[in-house]
Amino acid sequence: MNTAQLVTATRSALERLAGHADELGDLDQALGDGDLGITISSGADAVSSALEDVPADARPADVLRVAAKAFASANPSTMAALVAGALLAGARAWGDATEVGRAEGAVLAAAAAESISTRGKSAVGDKTILDALVPAAEALRDAPDAAAAVDAAVAAAAQGVEQTTQLQSQKGRAAWLQERSRGLPDGGAVAMLRFLESWRDTTSRS
Amino acid sequence: MKKIINDPQDFVTEFVQGIALAHPGAVRIVTGDHRVLARADAPVAGKVGIVTGGGSGHLPLFKGYVGSGLCDAVAIGNVFSSPSPEQILEATKAADGGAGVLYLYGNYGGDVLNFDLAADLAELDGIRTETVLGRDDVASQPRTRAADRRGVAGLFFAYKTAGAAAERGDSLDEVAAIARVTAENTVTMGVGLSPTILPTTGKPSFELGADEMEIGIGIHGEPGIHRGALAPADAIATQLTEALLADLDPAAGERVAVLVNGLGATPLEELYVLYRRVHEMLTERDLVIARSYVGEYATSLEMAGASISLLRVDDELRDLLGAPADSPFFREGGDR
Repeated sequence: MNTAQLVTATRSALERLAGHADELGDLDQALGDGDLGITISSGADAVSSALEDVPADARPADVLRVAAKAFASANPSTMAALVAGALLAGARAWGDATEVGRAEGAVLAAAAAESISTRGKSAVGDKTILDALVPAAEALRDAPDAAAAVDAAVAAAAQGVEQTTQLQSQKGRAAWLQERSRGLPDGGAVAMLRFLESWRDTTSRS
Repeated sequence: MKKIINDPQDFVTEFVQGIALAHPGAVRIVTGDHRVLARADAPVAGKVGIVTGGGSGHLPLFKGYVGSGLCDAVAIGNVFSSPSPEQILEATKAADGGAGVLYLYGNYGGDVLNFDLAADLAELDGIRTETVLGRDDVASQPRTRAADRRGVAGLFFAYKTAGAAAERGDSLDEVAAIARVTAENTVTMGVGLSPTILPTTGKPSFELGADEMEIGIGIHGEPGIHRGALAPADAIATQLTEALLADLDPAAGERVAVLVNGLGATPLEELYVLYRRVHEMLTERDLVIARSYVGEYATSLEMAGASISLLRVDDELRDLLGAPADSPFFREGGDR
């Protein structure tokens, strides 16, 4: 897809994602400080309106930069800054590409995962967004075409989320709960999954 | 616990307001949450900006060094807590005069994460940043793991040299290089005699017997390398200085700057008693004392104790140390 198509798809996916704010807020209430719902809903709104102003001659990487900035400023938090840094890493990896597809999606997901892992000094198994993002990135990389790729990414992320239910939180405020953090999935990982599902649902409709 | 405070939750906001009110021509509050202070005249057009930051409870570190010839802005965390990425970003914008911004702060996990995230956000705003960390606390890790050492009072030296380099018009890369060489040649070790009491909890940060001292203590009360009976000043100075010299390993004839720093509750007289012995030891080793500083440069609330820092200097670092600087807590009038 080109820049305009990327903007349209992202905005519809974010609209769907915002509908999950209550679920994410409740999860984070149980494990963290409860601000994940507002981070996602206000972040999605802010990105969506910022994307309205992306100029026609912009590159797809510029879409990521605009999204990163809007997401970080909407409801500032460590999570928001980590996501912004991840999108920025993706923008660097996309460079001057004028069309993005499955391969670029895989590159974005891998760069985003690398950024969050480095910045947050965390890895798969720490019960974070990485538990959904890393398997999704691998699924995108290994899929034969775009349609199969999104389905595979959703499936991989869902499995990752399921596994976080068994894990003890190692990072952020949730880590304070130690043993008590078992039994619920990680809110960040669920947010990642809900975004991928939203992306699948909006792009398969079009 | 006895403290001169109001509501502990207001402690940081109120002392930041106090600094701004007491030094109106020097600094200004940048953000509504009172967590960013900048030079009154920042951003200085064309000059590399220097942004520092970290938890509160260490005055004059970090916010005391905002001024000409030093830092341009500071992001202020709660007591012993990192400032947020957004606060650091606001400090970055306040400091950026178009020549880029150096992040110069101590090596602590939360601060590193939040400054790195702020660097990403600054890049989105088109501001180039470089980062140099203070890692001078030799007791926190052995020399083989020097990159993991914590930053303590010796950060003052890097503020001074990098700040002077920025003031004379050096580029971002040049200012960062000065900060880096300063940080790499700075070593510090501290001794704690009594703990810090956090305003919000009212509890001591660690326990120490009435007649004990802890050698190698960190500025948040992190455990040191040896706990034992309190020794006379000369013995403490000897132990700390020997450890620093072993680590820095200066050759006879080399020049060093010396900083004897109080941790918050130790009288200046005692710091001078320490300095006397440090001076004697350095002279015995045929080291030339290029500059000396005695006083409170980096504290830990009301912790009793002191730290000793050494910086190996060449002609350039010596001149940068002597260059003019003016901030609420530190002034240098020019080479003496």
